[in-house]
Amino acid sequence: MNVTTRWAAVSLAAVALVGLTGCAGAASASSSAPASAAVEPLVLYAAEGYDAVAPKAFTAKTGIPVKVVDDSTGPLLTKIQAEKNNPQWSMLWVDGDTAFASLDQQGLLAPYAAHGSFNTVGKALIPSDHSYTPTGTTVMSALIYNAAKVTAVPATYQDLLGSAYTGKVGMNDPAQSGPTYPFIAGLMNQFGGQTGGVAAGEAYLTKLKANGLKVFPTNGDTLHALETGQIDYGLIQSSAATGEVIKVKATAAFQPKIVYLPKSTLLPSVIAIDKGASAVQQAEAKKFIDYVVSSEGQAVMLTGDPTGDSLFWPVVDNASSLKDLPPFPTEYQTLNPVFWGPLQSQVVTWFESNIK
Amino acid sequence: MAIQSAPLRDQIRAEGRPGAELDVAISPRRRRPPRPRFNALTAFWLLIVAILILPIALFLAVAFSPALLSQGPDWLTLSAFSTALTGHLLLGFVNSLVIGIVTALASAIIGFALAWIVIRTDAPARGIWTGVVFALFLTPSYLIALGWERLLEPNGVLQTLGWDPTAARDVFYGPVGIVVVLTVKGIPFAYLAISNALRGLGHEYEDAVRVHGGGAIASMRVVVALLAPAIWAALAIVFAESVSDFGVASTLANDSHFTVATFELYTAVQAFPVQFPVASAISWVLLIFVVLALLAQSRALKGRSYRVLGGRSRRAIRRRLSAVEKVAVVIGMSLLVVIALGVPTFGAVSASLIDGLGSLAGTHAWTLANYARVITSPDLSAPLWYSMQAATIAASVTTVLAVVCARLLAAGRTNLSSRMLDMVLLAAVALPGIVFAAGYIFAYNLPLTNAMGIHLYGTTTLLVLAYIATALPSTSRLLVGSMSQIQDSMLHSSRVHGSGAIFAWLSIVLPVISRPLLNAWLLTFTATLLELPVSQLLAPPGQQPISVGITATLAKYDFGGGTAMEVLAILTALLVVLVATLIFRLATPRGWRTLGTAK
Repeated sequence: MNVTTRWAAVSLAAVALVGLTGCAGAASASSSAPASAAVEPLVLYAAEGYDAVAPKAFTAKTGIPVKVVDDSTGPLLTKIQAEKNNPQWSMLWVDGDTAFASLDQQGLLAPYAAHGSFNTVGKALIPSDHSYTPTGTTVMSALIYNAAKVTAVPATYQDLLGSAYTGKVGMNDPAQSGPTYPFIAGLMNQFGGQTGGVAAGEAYLTKLKANGLKVFPTNGDTLHALETGQIDYGLIQSSAATGEVIKVKATAAFQPKIVYLPKSTLLPSVIAIDKGASAVQQAEAKKFIDYVVSSEGQAVMLTGDPTGDSLFWPVVDNASSLKDLPPFPTEYQTLNPVFWGPLQSQVVTWFESNIK
Repeated sequence: MAIQSAPLRDQIRAEGRPGAELDVAISPRRRRPPRPRFNALTAFWLLIVAILILPIALFLAVAFSPALLSQGPDWLTLSAFSTALTGHLLLGFVNSLVIGIVTALASAIIGFALAWIVIRTDAPARGIWTGVVFALFLTPSYLIALGWERLLEPNGVLQTLGWDPTAARDVFYGPVGIVVVLTVKGIPFAYLAISNALRGLGHEYEDAVRVHGGGAIASMRVVVALLAPAIWAALAIVFAESVSDFGVASTLANDSHFTVATFELYTAVQAFPVQFPVASAISWVLLIFVVLALLAQSRALKGRSYRVLGGRSRRAIRRRLSAVEKVAVVIGMSLLVVIALGVPTFGAVSASLIDGLGSLAGTHAWTLANYARVITSPDLSAPLWYSMQAATIAASVTTVLAVVCARLLAAGRTNLSSRMLDMVLLAAVALPGIVFAAGYIFAYNLPLTNAMGIHLYGTTTLLVLAYIATALPSTSRLLVGSMSQIQDSMLHSSRVHGSGAIFAWLSIVLPVISRPLLNAWLLTFTATLLELPVSQLLAPPGQQPISVGITATLAKYDFGGGTAMEVLAILTALLVVLVATLIFRLATPRGWRTLGTAK
């Protein structure tokens, strides 16, 4: 045991060394920060393809440093939930407003009315309490299909229940794909509104499953299933579908095309400020939001991920979209996130048990 | 008489005879009354509490008291358990339990056979097989699963080549495929646990059997019996690793719609709304599985001593295989390599090197475009360098701590401290990485800890500590087999001849365990380099570990770029393994390396 205790001492010394190294690293990092006491680095939790370029351009313009935690929406929301006792983020920037509505209901968001010239779509997406701000929008879903293999093109969601589509349609799993719950909620909202929507949507999805619906984890997996011929029609996020059409060269066997079935549900990219952040950080965060809804910020966002998240439709005037993006769907709907957000757990559980 | 052989002394202690006083001559310090002071062992336990017990305990507490960590309104409730133990989730537990048991048995059998062939026979290309084991450690389970999927999926590689894989797909997409992939991942754990012990087992026991007229089978039975601690360690660790695996759960199990407990846990934690209480309840059930495994292990090993490595251990003799046996061994091993490495490598390489292989799109031409793109990408170089630094520190500290843990575990199963450590370490193996990660946030982001001046959350220090905590349990348990073989008589002899405690340890114990130590370091380094869940939740803002970078690339539907990054990261890790092994060969005395090898 004597030897063991000595080794325990050695190991403790080693751990202490790690600690010191870490502290030294932290110290050198903080010493390299701007000397001005009025500037604090912003901590941006983000899951957008342009979340590297936009903060960089913002810092270059304002001198305010931004530390980005770039990850998928799921892990970021997990971090925020686990940090609830002592939040460490300044801003959250991800797709979909239902999660933001929930965070707002928990009292975690600081309201801010951004200085942007929002267009009709943008105004429809801004909540009355200004707890979060849309910075662009995609829709859910785009129906992407392989025109080299099939000729039938549906005009409505009901058409997908026909024999021409048996065993050929795929969609994402709402438990794993962030944009898919808003899509399902959108179907429910479209078929029965807030009163009978859940039952009507469940009935529709049950029929779709009876017609051979296949469920894949995320946009990428559904696209892969389309590429490999496991399905011929995929219901995915518009940016992913457009990106596929841009990236893939059409061949005799594979020719992806997109159609928007009425109604398309808006899936905005949304940014919000942490209520627990310091006053300095909150003020800086407001500047950041104003920047990303300005025409200058919007132009930078288009450069971050030209075959993915940058394929969004602007929600402000004086901003353009990428040239490959098709016109904005004429028949669209906005969801009330305050109503549909709290139903997510119930709907996803039902989907996992009955459709997947 | 001052020196007693270790087995005899153990027996005397176990039987409670007064002969135990004979130890006095060896360790006079033990006669001193215990002094109530803060010693290194207490500090060691404090560290274990800080990096393992506290985060796990806080995570587990959420199942009963969500309000404790602001995860719900109730201060005391069992509602999370009622959710976790119904329908879909309950089925997941049953599936995980059965898969864990089958995987543990299969891995232990194959791991034993592999260890025997490499150490005790003259089978050709033995060095390659050891390399294969390390390559298996490196290969994430999801990559193996995805490789198989690429091969078998509709219009996948096999179908493109003109074979109809429908029948094979029906079999593989489900429990059979999951067991195959998890067994492949379990083999290196079983191999290392058993081979380290087998190296320390001299030939004298087999000689004794043969002298007394026993045949090859009787001799093998004795070997298996003497290696029981290592075999049980292998079974327990593979079982725990299997029930906590997420890589297969999220790919093959998910795609074949086969429910397993870990996937349900991840869904509870990573799907909105986040349900930490349900995830915590699932963790409790996983822990119960591990307790059952530990009970089985302790029941099987109760009251026996397995100290076989002493100063008089005789070098083992390699068995000469006949030509037919050699061919059979090579075929069997090649099959293992194809299943375990060939398929996932093909999957990764085909995705990263061939344009649109298996799909209807793309030219199917060979291209290095993905590699050219990611090699110059800042998404690769900076994260890879960051992860390598973190993995180096984590591996070094973990190895030192693992020696201490293994020494404590080998000290005796009757010792309370040892039993508690055993329980904590195996429990930690059974809990998926995300439980640690969330537990670390709960523990080190409390307003209370911040008020105490501890600001660890959001620093590389905490990330490295979490890496250490994640790696320590499996690394320690792998070293137990070697540590439990060392007879104290060797150390005592050295002390009797005038050596100090540290010199005695360095000159006697270190040479014996140097190779297992190298293995432990490499294992931790490679596992840490591509670790995902802890990296995701604990990486400091502005820093991106390589695993998060790869995931981010894959999330942008850049499968070619993501897999190219993965291949490059694995190649880097293999290079480190190669360099470390070379340094070991050049820097250590020959005797250190020949120990445990057969003639």
